[in-house]
Amino acid sequence: MESKILKPILAVYVGLFLLFLYGPFFVLGTLSFQQGPEGGPQFPIIEWSTYWYRHLFGMVPPSRIAPLPVGEALIRSLTLAFMTMVTATVLGVMAAQAFRKRFRGAGVVFYLIVLGMMVPGVLTGLGTSLLANNVLGIERHWWTTAFVAHVVYTFPFAFLVMLAILNRFDGSVEEASWSLGVSPIRTFRKVTFPLIFPGVLSAMLFAFTLSFDEFPRTLFASGRDQTLPLAIYGTFSVEIHPNIFAFGVMTTLFSFALLAVYGILMGLSVRRAKKQAMQEDIA
Amino acid sequence: MTYDLQLTNVNKIYENGTAAVIDFNIDVDKGEFIAFLGPSGCGKSTTLRMIAGFESVTSGDLMIRGKRVNDQLPEKRPTSMIFQNYALFPHMNVRQNVRFGLEVKGMGAAEANRKVDSILEKLGLSDISEMPTSRLSGGQRQRIALARSLVVEPDILLLDEPLGALDANLRKSIQNELKLLQRDLGITFVFVTHAQSEALALSDRIVVMNAGRVEQISPPRELYTRPCSQFVARFIGSNTIIPGTLREASEDALVLDTAFGPLAGANRNKVSSNKGQKMSIVLPAEAVDILPGDMPEADRKAAFGLNALPCTITRLSVVGHIMQMIVELENGEKVNVEGHVDKYRNRLKADSAAFVAWKPSGATVIDR
Repeated sequence: MESKILKPILAVYVGLFLLFLYGPFFVLGTLSFQQGPEGGPQFPIIEWSTYWYRHLFGMVPPSRIAPLPVGEALIRSLTLAFMTMVTATVLGVMAAQAFRKRFRGAGVVFYLIVLGMMVPGVLTGLGTSLLANNVLGIERHWWTTAFVAHVVYTFPFAFLVMLAILNRFDGSVEEASWSLGVSPIRTFRKVTFPLIFPGVLSAMLFAFTLSFDEFPRTLFASGRDQTLPLAIYGTFSVEIHPNIFAFGVMTTLFSFALLAVYGILMGLSVRRAKKQAMQEDIA
Repeated sequence: MTYDLQLTNVNKIYENGTAAVIDFNIDVDKGEFIAFLGPSGCGKSTTLRMIAGFESVTSGDLMIRGKRVNDQLPEKRPTSMIFQNYALFPHMNVRQNVRFGLEVKGMGAAEANRKVDSILEKLGLSDISEMPTSRLSGGQRQRIALARSLVVEPDILLLDEPLGALDANLRKSIQNELKLLQRDLGITFVFVTHAQSEALALSDRIVVMNAGRVEQISPPRELYTRPCSQFVARFIGSNTIIPGTLREASEDALVLDTAFGPLAGANRNKVSSNKGQKMSIVLPAEAVDILPGDMPEADRKAAFGLNALPCTITRLSVVGHIMQMIVELENGEKVNVEGHVDKYRNRLKADSAAFVAWKPSGATVIDR
């Protein structure tokens, strides 16, 4: 009886969820194939074309619509996301390692770290730039102030992911390794790290994606050279053309590609660790 | 002479003030098989982990082969640990697991391979050496853990409830293997368990622990026949404990006033006369004789003195050539007795009156 009512409701709920998740993307995706350069960012589609994609790569004759100023911003954002990913993940793994033993003030430190993802982003960004500019005398750049703001933001995510992974981690394999005469550093490299590697991958994915499309913190902290989300926002303030939609489709595909890489790495991680150990045996 | 392992007044007190181990003292000879026995939370595992270096020693001296190791890191100690959950490296196959400890020793590949091969052979793992450990049974896994620990040639092997996760049959067979292996290698084993049968079957000496303290350190047989405290007497098993107060003390026997009248036991702990002191007589099952109810009193007195309690045989069964009996004393307490069939055949019947009797030298008197 119960499931007769509950099931359809849940089905509708999930349907709505999927609609709101993918609907906007679908609309943008469709509009990105609008005719150009006369066609605007609205229905109906006058004529299907790949004009805006070619426009993106500068493969169309010059028109009154300037090409998206994203080339350098894209490189910047990718570099920044990569730097953030490496730093936040290393810090996250180390901090979570530290939390495996109860230490004095562990509770306070935990909340102070997690606060990094709670504090309003605009404030963090503004505060970081003020601190750097007025107190420390550091110039604002995407690779200075914005980088710090990104790490502060993504580090708690990496930390929480690693904390969950290490929570389920059975420490006796490490003790077994120590008692065989293997140093803690080598134990971490050969035993702990291979076993927590899937978690490390997840932490890396989190940090990368969060940094890649970070907006509020970067707004004040990035200085003169803009990151990708800022550059795109900048073009909105003039006039919206479907070339932004085309670009949106491209970045989404990029994100999916990233996820695919993550999935493949995840699947390979165990097998690769095994192979590696085997090769060492032969050598 | 230096001992393989020596603990002198070792204490473990946690930061919150909880005392896990209190004044632990023991000297262990090379090649001894020592068991730490006690209920969970008695401090036996904590002591083992202090020896391994996983837990710090709060005070006292921990010596291995004459060298104080209190502040030595686990990887520098000549000990190796076996865990209840095996703690195998899941991302390595059997061979890689066993070889792991040799890789840091700077040993030539050929020599390392030879050592790994020989230990795998010894433990019957050669056929499965290339398999991932996840597909193996509990018994095989624990053998891998043993091989992994023994291949690095520790001075002392530490075993933390190593058979706890195995089923009864397997436990028995691995027990035997362990004992043979230890004799063969001649290295010191320190074995933690809460199962008294395991400790009794395997060890040269047993350390019985309770609430952080050592209650008794004795060879298994002595622990069984001469417990020195109420706790040990109860924990080791099939003892009958009769409480009373001290009436008479001599050099080798004590007489207590009990609910059954005056009864005697051996004065093993050398109690000096202190009349009225509360004490108990501990009767190990094997020290007990069952006498037929119609035995003349004079014969009874001649053989057993005061120590004959009237009882009723409630159950009587023969398993092989062992006769097992359950008798009920007048106060309703039940006593298990075992004996050779030849001794009792045709003399005893179920549901008949009889006497529980013992020689004073067979029972021990302890403080209550």
